[in-house]
Amino acid sequence: MTESEEPRIGVFVCHCGHNIAGTVDVERVAKVAATFPHVVFSTDEMFMCSDSGQQLIRDKIKEHGLNRVVVASCSPRMHEPTFRRVVEEGGLNRYLYEQVNLREHVSWCHMHEPEAATEKAIDLVRMSVARAARLESIPVKTVQVTPRALVVGGGIAGLRAALDIADRGFEVVLVEKRPQLGGHVIHWTHMFPADRSGREVVSPMIDEVMDHDLITVYTDSKVTALDGYIGNFDITIKSNKTGEEHKVKVGAVIVATGFEPFKPIGYYAYEDSPDIMTLAELQEMPPSDELLRPSDGKPAKKLAFIGCVGSREPGVKGHEHCSRYCCSAVAKAASDLKDRVDEVVVLYQDVRTYGRGHEEIHRLAREKRVIFSKYNPDERPEVWVKRGKITMRWRDVLADDLLEFKPDILVLASAMVPPEDVEEIAKIFSLTRSSDGFFNPEHIKLAPLTTHTAGIMIAGVAQAAKNASETVVDASGAAAKAAALLARGEVEIESTVASVNPDVCSSCHTCITACPYGAMSIDESHDPPVAHVTEAKCHGCGTCAAGCPSGAITMLHSTDDQILSMVEALLMPAQMSGGEAR
Amino acid sequence: MTEAAQETKTTSEDWEPKIVAFCCNWCSYAGADLAGTSRIQYPPNARIIRVNCTGRIDPEFILAALDMGADGVLVSGCHPGDCHYTSGNLKMRARWALIKRAVEQAGIDPRRIRLQWASASEAQIFADGVTLLTEQVRKLGPLRGQWR
Repeated sequence: MTESEEPRIGVFVCHCGHNIAGTVDVERVAKVAATFPHVVFSTDEMFMCSDSGQQLIRDKIKEHGLNRVVVASCSPRMHEPTFRRVVEEGGLNRYLYEQVNLREHVSWCHMHEPEAATEKAIDLVRMSVARAARLESIPVKTVQVTPRALVVGGGIAGLRAALDIADRGFEVVLVEKRPQLGGHVIHWTHMFPADRSGREVVSPMIDEVMDHDLITVYTDSKVTALDGYIGNFDITIKSNKTGEEHKVKVGAVIVATGFEPFKPIGYYAYEDSPDIMTLAELQEMPPSDELLRPSDGKPAKKLAFIGCVGSREPGVKGHEHCSRYCCSAVAKAASDLKDRVDEVVVLYQDVRTYGRGHEEIHRLAREKRVIFSKYNPDERPEVWVKRGKITMRWRDVLADDLLEFKPDILVLASAMVPPEDVEEIAKIFSLTRSSDGFFNPEHIKLAPLTTHTAGIMIAGVAQAAKNASETVVDASGAAAKAAALLARGEVEIESTVASVNPDVCSSCHTCITACPYGAMSIDESHDPPVAHVTEAKCHGCGTCAAGCPSGAITMLHSTDDQILSMVEALLMPAQMSGGEAR
Repeated sequence: MTEAAQETKTTSEDWEPKIVAFCCNWCSYAGADLAGTSRIQYPPNARIIRVNCTGRIDPEFILAALDMGADGVLVSGCHPGDCHYTSGNLKMRARWALIKRAVEQAGIDPRRIRLQWASASEAQIFADGVTLLTEQVRKLGPLRGQWR
């Protein structure tokens, strides 16, 4: 189609089953939308994202000669890619599609105000119709993909991902901040559910990685900068020791930066005795036939565990989540160590040994007469240390009895929390974090391994607390995603970039200081010299366009006109050209 | 509808504040999505316009919205340091002082505009911000009758 063509807009209002239609009068929305300027077709449909919904769009494009499509359904963060594909299949440029968010932003948050919700829905559709009329097609650009991947983190996730990608025949650069590979797992003496040490599990993987022709390993090094875009990232790796920098070009990135065991300072007298330790610290004690007390090296006879330390604390930022590994790990450690001590007591909130084979470990621990006692999270156990002796007192929920126990060693099953440099990592890779502090996937169900930054995947605990087996599943999944991208050879990139009108530019350099990516420069070859956009570097934030005092910069797909048309459609509907408002 | 009739309508009891909310795609728009997913209920007065980054928001957009009859304008973006585009929100923050001044000089109560940071996980903060501005604007009354 040509830009001068009169807009012919089709509006499709989705019921989303009961999700939208249960609150919003979708039929009315569709009916009113039919009266908006340039709208030549408007309807409501049960599920727009279903096959029949998608077919409906393609059919109506043909039938009515639609050249703009508006779908009023869920968040564009969910289905914009779906419908962009559908309009493309219908023969339209993907940027001639516009989505209205009637579910997350209307029906779900105004559930008890159906009338106000319907009014809001009508306003939002009117705004998007106005914007749609001003949308322009933008050619979709593709770039070559550098057939090499970067894996950040040399723990069990990073090792697995690196091997999977390299085994598919692509080069991998593996960067680990610590001097040795193997992450936390290598230090653990007992892994559940199988009876093997962490070293036994990861050592073969490390050997394979080190020997692999296609894998380059940088230990004691950090990624300090990432430039570029999907298919063409420029990575800077810096050695912690020498400060030496290496630059590599990669097509895909897997962030597998894992976690840190929470140091439970202020919990259960943690710092008051060397005999009170975290589960991670217990795991790192050298194996011996007897469990030796750190304070005096004597064999321990009584052992206690407390679960959910720093996990499942509603209202405490970064500690609301279940850390998912601890119940099974405690059951395993308790069951193993019961053979070497006389008594083992486990204080728990709930026992969630959910994985395959984990319930069996829990059962084994109980069969070995490990004592499990449930405490109330609102009335946490008390622990104190007097003359080096630990005492714990708690109320057993099931017996409703106040109990006391004096363990030789107390183990706190502490939470998995993000590593201390998580903010730095988030910044470098442009990742967002969820309330537990770990990185957000693109979509929790539909795209759990990719992120909102195209070409960057996450794997393992970098995404959320989980155990080693789940981490490896993630790693292989992320590796498959990365390998698929590398194998493709070329990939589509963001076409919505800034563009300069040289006739209006006054060469004031404002945009150069505004751009976070160094995408703006002065084209000296132009007479007079004017601002110039290096499109490959532009990420499309539009900060330059907002800053330009001459209005010389157009942010494609987010032009001043497109944005202001929405404001106008909301506030001055009668002014909307070409038709009546409501 | 005549000008006078519109005047009575906007000042009558059933007047509801109209709020234009500019949200960045990466943090606050996602935070608003999460508010919906979490079924957090908040006043239906705000209409969200999605922009890539708060850095995209030209001060003119805010002034134009007030000029066209918005009773309040909300700008919601990533926390400083958390911008998807590194520093766009810092540009917005720098512009905000200017915007506030311009709004005041136009004779509009600056309490009608609000800049807030709400990450993708801060659904409640987003919803609370909308509630707060809506209530604040409700107290101030319709802008139409007071200005121009």
